Amino acid sequence: MSNLLDTVLLPVASEDDARSSARALAEQDYGTVTVVHIIEKADGAPDKASVEQREQAAEEMFEAARAELGDIETDVVYGADVAEAIFDAATDRDASAIVVTPRGGNRFIRLITGDVALRLVTETEHPVVVLPDRTDETADTETDE
Amino acid sequence: MSDEELAKDIGPLAALTIGVGTMIGAGIFVLPRAAISQAGSFAIVAFTLGGAIALLTAFSASELGTAMPKSGGAYYYVNHALGPMFGSVAGWANWLGLAFASAFYMVGFGQYIQQIFGLTATVGVGPVALDPVKLIALAGALLFITVNYVGAKETGRLQNVIVIILVAILTVFTIYGGLRADPANLPPTAGFSDTMAVTGIIFVSYLGFVQITSVAEEIQDPGVNLPRAVIGSVLLVTVIYALVLLTMAAAVEPGFIEALPTEQIAVVEVARILLGPIGAIAMLLGGLLATASSANASILASSRINFAMGRDGIVSESLNEIHPRFATPYRSIAVTGGLILVFIAAGTVETLASMGSVLHLIIYGLLNIGLIVMREAEPAEYDPDYTVPLYPVVPILGALTSLGLIVFLAPVAIGLSAVLVAGAVLWYFVYARSRATKQGILSQYILSRSEAMPDAAVSAATGVQPDGGNYRVMVPLANPENESDLITLASAIAKQRGGTVVATHIVTVPDQTALAGAAERSDEIDETSQHLLDRAREDAETFGVDIETHTIISHKSFEGIFDAAKSHTADLVVMGWGPDSHGSPGRAESAIDELTESVPCDFLVMRDRGFDPSRILLPTAGGPDSDLTASVAKLLQAEYGSEVTLLNVADDGERDDAEQFLETWAEGHGLEDSTLRIETGDVETAIERAAEDATLLLIGATEEGLLRRLVGGSLVLDVVDDVECTVVLGEKHRHRGLLDRLF
Repeated sequence: MSNLLDTVLLPVASEDDARSSARALAEQDYGTVTVVHIIEKADGAPDKASVEQREQAAEEMFEAARAELGDIETDVVYGADVAEAIFDAATDRDASAIVVTPRGGNRFIRLITGDVALRLVTETEHPVVVLPDRTDETADTETDE
Repeated sequence: MSDEELAKDIGPLAALTIGVGTMIGAGIFVLPRAAISQAGSFAIVAFTLGGAIALLTAFSASELGTAMPKSGGAYYYVNHALGPMFGSVAGWANWLGLAFASAFYMVGFGQYIQQIFGLTATVGVGPVALDPVKLIALAGALLFITVNYVGAKETGRLQNVIVIILVAILTVFTIYGGLRADPANLPPTAGFSDTMAVTGIIFVSYLGFVQITSVAEEIQDPGVNLPRAVIGSVLLVTVIYALVLLTMAAAVEPGFIEALPTEQIAVVEVARILLGPIGAIAMLLGGLLATASSANASILASSRINFAMGRDGIVSESLNEIHPRFATPYRSIAVTGGLILVFIAAGTVETLASMGSVLHLIIYGLLNIGLIVMREAEPAEYDPDYTVPLYPVVPILGALTSLGLIVFLAPVAIGLSAVLVAGAVLWYFVYARSRATKQGILSQYILSRSEAMPDAAVSAATGVQPDGGNYRVMVPLANPENESDLITLASAIAKQRGGTVVATHIVTVPDQTALAGAAERSDEIDETSQHLLDRAREDAETFGVDIETHTIISHKSFEGIFDAAKSHTADLVVMGWGPDSHGSPGRAESAIDELTESVPCDFLVMRDRGFDPSRILLPTAGGPDSDLTASVAKLLQAEYGSEVTLLNVADDGERDDAEQFLETWAEGHGLEDSTLRIETGDVETAIERAAEDATLLLIGATEEGLLRRLVGGSLVLDVVDDVECTVVLGEKHRHRGLLDRLF
């Protein structure tokens, strides 16, 4: 029987996010996982931070995820649109589901950073599984929406 | 991989507009008045001369940028070529130079806002009366710092649009100016020193072309697009500036500019005369866009410099933390932002412009020198797609004109910059020297030719080398027989790594003897120790390597070594092993249980049959331990010019695979120039056969732990005993999990 969590795509945005998302996934019965970090490109202008710097940060995130999950595939993906890049990554890898944990943040923060999580569930062509983040109980409220 | 290609999203036009957009800022919108007042019609010469000086450096920056498309741009090249001391100077100058320039742009921004809203009254806050321009500048700076801190999304299109608008405004201005120009209007020309002083100040209008190189890693086809963008932007901007200045000098009657009230902006008033109110409005809009985009680009660029400095250990890596949500280098931006605010509050327009100019001129001078060093030292990996024309004339002129122009700037700015440079050198010696990870091409070049170079150059190069995070090579000494060979190997490595040799005499006493009791016999021990360590010191000093000596009393020789390696924070231990070192019989057996733990640092164990590194044999099948032996081979090669042979033992019929493997491996470890040798058949006999031609056999341990294998009678041990040359076994320090340690 095919399982929703057979081939998981786990997008991570920061080291903490990588740790809590990986921890949440570790509690589930899943097949294989690819941890991806999206480096947002400015599409023709200098990026917010240098690509090498972002790649270095991505390695730290993968390390954090590896500490929780052991054997994982990792990939750095570049894209001007983060949500779009996640969908493309899921398609490329034929992922059975995109797994995310809520990152919280108030309306203002979401406004200026762009609400990737919302776009993931409203525009998706892939199953999106939102796992509760046990390390931050207050985040539970964010999952209803 | 196509993903990597996606990281490169800056096309040729965008690359050009980064340069043009950064350069066209407060310089051309604020400074023409002062330039014309001081240099008359030679203000045109000053702007053209500034462009010419920038162009010389642009050639060099293009070559370095295509050779090293790395984040950090000018700082990176200087650090790479001239080493971390100059790297520290270039990094700080680049960082602070950008902060001064941003402050200058923001004051220009303040002047334009003030013009638009007609704010003239000074605002009194208690006893302090603040100029409204400064207040607006501070508010504007805060806005752009915040924008960069939270990382509002900027797109290439927006940037292109801004730059096209700017160029269009200035083009229309010069066309109308050209129609009205009359040579009779030209103000008198100024003398040499006034012209040069103006050139120095307005040079701040040319900062920006190097920013293109700081995003070189993001540019498509950098080999072609980077030089075009860097050189093209300087040429374009120089022409625009010269024409704008010509317009301002020739299209209005003489004395018009000097007669303007101070709160009015000359460029705007000239545009008003030429094009009416629309001209003035367009120019005001242009000034806002130009100053804002320049400041924004400079703040962005400064965080890249911080990143590159942090990577090289010149500033703390914690400065370069990426914000978990905004994905921006927020700390770096906050610190830079703080500096900008302080500079705005403290400096006048002229001081800010001059500081921006002087600090950048220092970097440009060093950058040109760096290019010459790269060309002369010719490191293997230096392969630029673009090369400067007329080498060495262009970089020499670039260095001389950049550094020479500094002389004409305000003494205050020169003095302050000198203090900052001295501070950066001091910073290197106090903070960065022990942390810096890179040795410059220059000192490598000088030190690798110590004999041919003047002594002063060699000792200068040695004196300022990074101490490699203080790379420490510990040598436990047991008896005098092979002391000299061990110290020689250790010193050769320490010398190449710019590190220190730590010679320890480990005195073993039987378990029954309390250590305190042994210490009472210290006189006796001291004498042997002293003798042994004195010889070690002499041997190390022939290499010019720093040496520390210690005597340690321990019950167990090996455990003592481990403890000492930890307490002396060794990065590498070089020890002897074999019947004639650590000589007591039964030593090996007792070592088993002590050594099943992972080694506390990298270990080299030498089975000494006379140290001769001329022909090194390095058998490898990959793995972390042969990474260690590879780096040792490379260091010995650098020190002694050793011939290195890499050996892989393959099964019959897999020779091609083995050859492929060795080639890639050699390349990955910087040992491309070694001889590759493939043997088939039994591993042990193959190594022995190959070792017949060698003077030194360097073997990496396996994952199981070198020292255990040593006493287990497996492959490595047999080979060690059967070959006739000296054998060095390497085991790399690795963090082992509990499971690995148990089994």
